[in-house]
Amino acid sequence: MKKIEAIIRPEKLELLRQHLEKIGYPGMMVTKMEGHGKQGGVTHQFRGTEYKTSFLPKLRIEIVVTDAQVKKLSDAIVEVCRSGSVGDGKIFISSVENTIRIRTGESGEAAV
Amino acid sequence: MINRFLKKWRDPKERRLFYALLGGKMGGVALLFLLIAGIPAFFGTKVYAAEETVSYINPINTMWTLIAAFLVFFMQSGFMMLEAGFARSRETINILLEGIVDTCLCGILFWAWGFGWMFGAGNGLIGNQFYFLHGIPDTYGSSGVATLAFFLFQFAFADCTSTITSGAMVGRTGFIGDLLYSFVVSGFIYPILGHWAWGPDGWLALMQPAAFRDFAGSTVIHTIGGMIALAGAIALGPRLGRKFKRDGGGPMPGHDMTIAAVGTVILWFGWYGFNPGSTLSAMDLQGIGRVATNTTLAACAGGLSALFFVFPRTKIWDCGMTCNGILAGLVAITCPCYWVSPGGSIIIGVIAGVLVVLATDLLEHWRIDDPVGAWPVHGINGIWGTISLGLFATGQYGLPSPTGMDSSVVVKGLFYGGGMTQLMAQTTGNVIIGIAALVSGLILMYAVKATGHLRVSTEGELQGLDVHEHGGSAYPELEAVTQVR
Repeated sequence: MKKIEAIIRPEKLELLRQHLEKIGYPGMMVTKMEGHGKQGGVTHQFRGTEYKTSFLPKLRIEIVVTDAQVKKLSDAIVEVCRSGSVGDGKIFISSVENTIRIRTGESGEAAV
Repeated sequence: MINRFLKKWRDPKERRLFYALLGGKMGGVALLFLLIAGIPAFFGTKVYAAEETVSYINPINTMWTLIAAFLVFFMQSGFMMLEAGFARSRETINILLEGIVDTCLCGILFWAWGFGWMFGAGNGLIGNQFYFLHGIPDTYGSSGVATLAFFLFQFAFADCTSTITSGAMVGRTGFIGDLLYSFVVSGFIYPILGHWAWGPDGWLALMQPAAFRDFAGSTVIHTIGGMIALAGAIALGPRLGRKFKRDGGGPMPGHDMTIAAVGTVILWFGWYGFNPGSTLSAMDLQGIGRVATNTTLAACAGGLSALFFVFPRTKIWDCGMTCNGILAGLVAITCPCYWVSPGGSIIIGVIAGVLVVLATDLLEHWRIDDPVGAWPVHGINGIWGTISLGLFATGQYGLPSPTGMDSSVVVKGLFYGGGMTQLMAQTTGNVIIGIAALVSGLILMYAVKATGHLRVSTEGELQGLDVHEHGGSAYPELEAVTQVR
């Protein structure tokens, strides 16, 4: 079992969900967050004067999948969420020790 | 029945009886009419319809003044919205409550002695009548407006001044500090300085050769409010974390542009009471029409001027600065609105829009944190508006009076051949009141600072004033839900 953690632009969420629905996915968790990578924030303006922000709003998408699904889903995320500009985001893949479905109590790959 | 009547008619005796009865009834009715006509003529007195020229002027002018007063009072909600929108969410409750409490406090102080010091007769510096509104005449001065209606109108103006002050001080002022400075501004600084310009024996109002003229308060409300606001911002210091442009930082963005922009338009709406209402006379119909139009055009010009002045600098269409530009135009036209032409109003507004942007830059350069732009909008443009009367007064308009316009007074500015006279009077009055407001403001703010109540503690400011002094966030549902409510 692996967790795919993807940091994406907020405006890409609906496109991503529709695409994943088409190819099949177990579910997803969405968190609103702020962050920065190499870009290091942007310059905005309020009342005629500029100010810099260090963080930009992003979304964290987390999907726990079976090992077999990892490549398909992470490729799908890259394809939909890439715009070519700085700030597209990153995907982190980590191992998950166990998954338990609360309703039935089953665990392991069957619970994903 | 007809047969019975005809049978009787043929009998001459019955005919005579009929004529007697008919004659008697007609005589009775004639007697009744005589009595109806005669008795009132003998006993009654003639009543005539009331003289048209006297009975409706004062009621109309009083009603006009009251409606205008209601509009000016409604500006309080505009101020609350504007300030809350330009500040952060963590100090929203503080701003709203400060606005409400300052209004309540101002009302009581103005009743107790503020109105008396400002509009009572006394000497050139301060009035000495009408304490607790005792001994007020039925109508105020020569205006014919009911004094208690005039009281409401002037209370609404006083309320604006203390609200303007709070604008530069949001985000780090303790609530007790708020109460203390509101008390002194509404109770002391405003009525005394206002008396000089608007009191019946105020020394600036009685100046020769030209009186200092401030139609609706560019100096009395806006310069005073703006200068005390500046004093407060200086005494407080900037909010924690506020870095200025020259140090590589910038302003802290407001949390709700919706409410800030709507608040600006509400203030514009309220200004239609602020300026036209200051005629105290609907009978001067040309006057109120002219003032309303001048007010409108200055606001329009100010907004566009600020918008198009900022755009080339940053390629951004700036909503916040456009709002400030509209208000700057309104502040600037407040003094000259009765005496200038619509075209002149536009020029005044355009310059106001530019001044507000430059003044904001200046504060940024001086490292003074004014979260809503109280000094650029009210302080600087209060000065500009007052001076502009000395330049743009056309000379065609005198003074409003209860029955129309009093043309015996001439107010003519430099650009219309009036020379420097009015300009000197305007400059004198504005500089003196401006300096007096700034100095008394600084003394006040540093005195409150010495009590320890001016600025909140560091922890309190970082938490946010709402959580620290008002029991919680203005938007509790946006906080993480950790308990079942």
